[in-house]
Amino acid sequence: MIRVQNLTKRFLSHTAVDGISFEVEEGEIVGFLGPNGAGKTTTLRILTTFLSATSGTATVAGCDIFSQSLELRRKIGYMPENVPLYTDMRVKEYLRFRAALHRITGRPARVKVGEVLDICGLKDVRKKIIGTLSKGYRQRVGLADALIHNPELLILDEPTNGLDPNQIRQARDLIKRLGESHTILLSTHILPEVEMTCGRVIIIDQGRIRASDTPANLVGKLRTARTVSVELKADAETAAKALTGIQGVRKLIRQDPVNGWTSFILRVESQADIREDVFNVALENRWPVRELSQKTPSLEDVFVDLTQPVAEA
Amino acid sequence: MRVFFILLRKELRSYFFSPLAYVIMAFLMILNGVPFVLSLIAMQAGERQHSLVYFTFNSGWFWMAYLLLFPIITMRLFSEEQKMGTIESLLTAPVRSVQFVLAKYFAAFVFYCFLWLPSLANFLVFEAIGDEAASFSTGSFYGSYLLLVVMGCFYLAIGCLASSMTSNQILASIIAFSIILLHFIFGFVHFFSTRMPAEVMERVTYTSSYEHMRIFSDGLLDSRPLVYYLTSAILLLIATHQVLEYRRWRV
Ligand SMILES: Nc1ncnc2c1ncn2[C@@H]1O[C@H](COP(=O)(O)OP(=O)(O)OP(=O)(O)O)[C@@H](O)[C@H]1O
Ligand SMILES: [Mg+2]
Repeated sequence: MIRVQNLTKRFLSHTAVDGISFEVEEGEIVGFLGPNGAGKTTTLRILTTFLSATSGTATVAGCDIFSQSLELRRKIGYMPENVPLYTDMRVKEYLRFRAALHRITGRPARVKVGEVLDICGLKDVRKKIIGTLSKGYRQRVGLADALIHNPELLILDEPTNGLDPNQIRQARDLIKRLGESHTILLSTHILPEVEMTCGRVIIIDQGRIRASDTPANLVGKLRTARTVSVELKADAETAAKALTGIQGVRKLIRQDPVNGWTSFILRVESQADIREDVFNVALENRWPVRELSQKTPSLEDVFVDLTQPVAEA
Repeated sequence: MRVFFILLRKELRSYFFSPLAYVIMAFLMILNGVPFVLSLIAMQAGERQHSLVYFTFNSGWFWMAYLLLFPIITMRLFSEEQKMGTIESLLTAPVRSVQFVLAKYFAAFVFYCFLWLPSLANFLVFEAIGDEAASFSTGSFYGSYLLLVVMGCFYLAIGCLASSMTSNQILASIIAFSIILLHFIFGFVHFFSTRMPAEVMERVTYTSSYEHMRIFSDGLLDSRPLVYYLTSAILLLIATHQVLEYRRWRV
């Protein structure tokens, strides 16, 4: 559905997208994940022919982004970042206008507009002026707009940006439902969203792709780097020395003692569970233990690990 | 072509559904009513060489309103789309940027023509109820309105270009007004320089809107200004298109 090869975009001297290549197959829901300024929006704008690429090629829905841009735009539904809309139009009127741009008019347009109003839960506000709608409803209008011409591919730039938790959940369910009949490429920096909705994640940072895999696999790769936290009543120096001695501990972070209790976070390299060793060390030294827990990495850890390798807790 | 009309309808709708349209219309009626009335009074005082139409369209009042009109009509055309980001959703729909530019331009043009209807009524009513046929000369009437339309094409295109250059409406209107004013004042250069060769002077008057209006509102039609305005308008629209493409495709 999407085939990107060596795509580069330079703004003056700043390289926003730096030679990225990836593919999205039909029927996939792919999450485009990256920190602010990673180049997500820029990439999506190139794929939707709003911006030109400095170099590289891409085909979207079987159309080349340079030579077949008009056909391409007929086949995709795009929801830009921040959902730009004509604020002086009414919801239904806006959707009718957008349908007409896709050459859907008359009865089919009425039917289709009714359908997307239904799907996106906009029935109640269809006569309202868009400028008076809340952010959540505007987002839905944007989505309805992207769906109006039955596109095979949906490209959504931060579809849940600025929504409250309930609406995020609704939007997520909607996207999942749409994923049954559409290929979807969505950008976001909300991690649970990716884990729940996307079959595959592409992590991008500073214009380069850092990883591309299923959320489960990405987390699996990080398995080796899990953390154990322990809180002891002991002399911090001695305890630190003893804990570092445990096999498998790669790094130890010590927090300042509070009333004699000191917290340690141990980063562990091996697959082994070292909680037992930690307990034994404490027992030998007769240090009271208040907390002992192990944390397996989440997608968030993968994200942080890949996009800011220098920052350590 | 169909897309063009859909866009045109949307643009017209946003012109006529905004209060701005009626404010501009009122403003124009006042600024045109004043010279109309002043001309009537002047004509009462004695015999005049020119027609009522001539006096109305050659007054300072008229030009003041006229030159201010274009920045106000055109400033929001492209600036607003860029500011709101709606240009992104529009140009990722199957819309060619040429259709986009032309729809905006023609909507402004239709609106502009619409604004002159009240002034038209002034003259028609005057002709109907007055018995001074001489003061209302057919040639000067048609000449003036023909020039208004054609000159409008040119000044609207300047406004379009200015609006495409920035996402700030105020800035767009200032740019448009500056260019329009410079162009207008350039037509008076020969008043300031007495040593200018006659040949150069003629070239200058070739672009002078004031001169054109003076001639046309006397009922003398000249094809040169018409060609000048229309070709310039086309060039300016091509430039507008290029600017928009450049802003979008810049590397
Ligand atoms: N029109 C532009 N001119 C110059 N630089 C730009 C332009 N658009 C984007 N950039 C730069 O390109 C880089 C990538 O921006 P982009 O908007 O693609 O990031 P993003 O991943 O979408 O970030 P966010 O999560 O904040 O939306 C940024 O450093 C940005 O400043
Ligand atoms: Mg973005």
